[in-house]
Amino acid sequence: MINLMKTEMYKLIRNKTFWVLIVSFTGLSVLLHCLILTDWWFMSGTEFDEAGLSELNALSPFKTLLFFNLIVSTLAGYYISTEFSQSNVIKNQMMSGNKRTTILMSKYLTFSFGSWIVVIMIPLATALIVVHLLGFGDIFTLATIIYLGRAYSLFILHFLSFTAIVLLIAIVTEDSGKTIIFTLLLSIMMFVIEKFSTLPFINKMYEHTFFYQLNEAFKVSITSGEMIKSILIGIVSLGIVMLCGIFIINRKEIK
Amino acid sequence: MNEYILKTNQLSKKYRSNFAIENINVTIKKGDIYGLIGQNGAGKSTMLRLVTGLAFPSSGAIELFGDDNPKQLTESQKRMGAIIESPALFTNMNAYENLEVQRLQKGIPGKDCIKNTLELVGLKDAGKKKVKDFSLGMKQRLGLGLALLSDPEFLILDEPTNGLDPMGIVELRELIKKLNREKGLTVLISSHILSELHQLATHFGIIHKGKLLEELSSKELDEKCKQHLRIKVDDSSKGATVLERYLSTTNFEVMQDGTIKLYNYLDDVRIVSRALTDYGLIIEHLSQNGDSLESYFSKLIGGVDHD
Repeated sequence: MINLMKTEMYKLIRNKTFWVLIVSFTGLSVLLHCLILTDWWFMSGTEFDEAGLSELNALSPFKTLLFFNLIVSTLAGYYISTEFSQSNVIKNQMMSGNKRTTILMSKYLTFSFGSWIVVIMIPLATALIVVHLLGFGDIFTLATIIYLGRAYSLFILHFLSFTAIVLLIAIVTEDSGKTIIFTLLLSIMMFVIEKFSTLPFINKMYEHTFFYQLNEAFKVSITSGEMIKSILIGIVSLGIVMLCGIFIINRKEIK
Repeated sequence: MNEYILKTNQLSKKYRSNFAIENINVTIKKGDIYGLIGQNGAGKSTMLRLVTGLAFPSSGAIELFGDDNPKQLTESQKRMGAIIESPALFTNMNAYENLEVQRLQKGIPGKDCIKNTLELVGLKDAGKKKVKDFSLGMKQRLGLGLALLSDPEFLILDEPTNGLDPMGIVELRELIKKLNREKGLTVLISSHILSELHQLATHFGIIHKGKLLEELSSKELDEKCKQHLRIKVDDSSKGATVLERYLSTTNFEVMQDGTIKLYNYLDDVRIVSRALTDYGLIIEHLSQNGDSLESYFSKLIGGVDHD
């Protein structure tokens, strides 16, 4: 597993798409934070507003599924899918004498790490830096730090389920374009259910998915029961998706 | 002692209702260079994909290094190196980086193996050139390097001469022979370039339409392909005596059906026929026979087509 993790990290570091995403999202994040903090752009009604962290409003787009799915699916397409299609280098890995489940796990962990860097770490780090540089450092009190810690911890848990699903899409489709399109369709479907569904059963089901919990993670006030429920949904979802992944990879024939 | 590296037992692979390979029984002993011969679409690559674990058999069993437990196959594959169909390479990386990826995923300690492999396959001067700028031959060499990096005991090569120039083909052949001779490397090599395989392999498996038609050693094949005069006379024992006494040769065989295979006098057929008739024998048949590997293969698969 360690060898495979090292291999995946070696490949991720040399992946052009990963670096393009890092550079472009660092730039975008810095720009958004600067625009918000200098009042060139105004956002309101966000969870950060409610938490007294309106200076961090620029983080809102980065935690929106319809936005970050594009980043995650692009990375999956050009880091995971291409190994199955263009170069077919997955053959070497499958013939290397490593168990397929281990190969899947190493890919998942590295891909999730890469996605975490672009979607979560970069926006958050640039926010902290820009906020401090522009003299708004006093917004960070113990209460706001606890809020951010709790919100991002829950968000990361559910984000891990999302990266697991995107990884599966990438492995099944074996095509970068299809990976992006199917992930986008999934995200749009979840958005439509969240905003427009009037069927109580569907709504109830949706509330028990990690898609819903991705937003709930940033609620300012959350009860212990809601937090435990959120954690359980995250863990169970991740477990189910990974079991599906193990089932698929162990039956997949490599062309 | 016969130590088997690969044994397949009634190995079959079915795609929907069509068999890609059917009931294949192949045996490869340690130190063999096994040439798998077949036309395009005969099932060679399918068989190699099953052995390397890229695909799963519909029925039958694979025994690698004496272990036929499917769960242990992955472990056994650590002792193998393979190129299936085309070399799988990261085109945005150079040769060194590609080998480094392979080294990491195979868990090979130390980086010396990379330099040694680059030298072995003639790519030590490739430098920082990306694989996307490599020629087909260079890619093939790098693919071979990936397969050899872990110093495998069993090497599987699927059409390895594709894209190689004549010198490259000779170098590859010499390299395989050298590794086989010096390290006892066992090789399973598939090709439809029969003349190439003929110079390299110690054993052959002839596969056609998913079925293994024949398995034979190079000695047996040479024997079958050997040029000879096929003589049928009314009295085969007398014919043999004539050949021995009056043509002073023992380089012949009397077959069960009475046919005599004479391996010399190939350019002096008249002398043979005169000697036989002079001693009162009636020649029923006299012809020059013998095949190249190509014609032997053609006959073999042609025979199946008529069945």
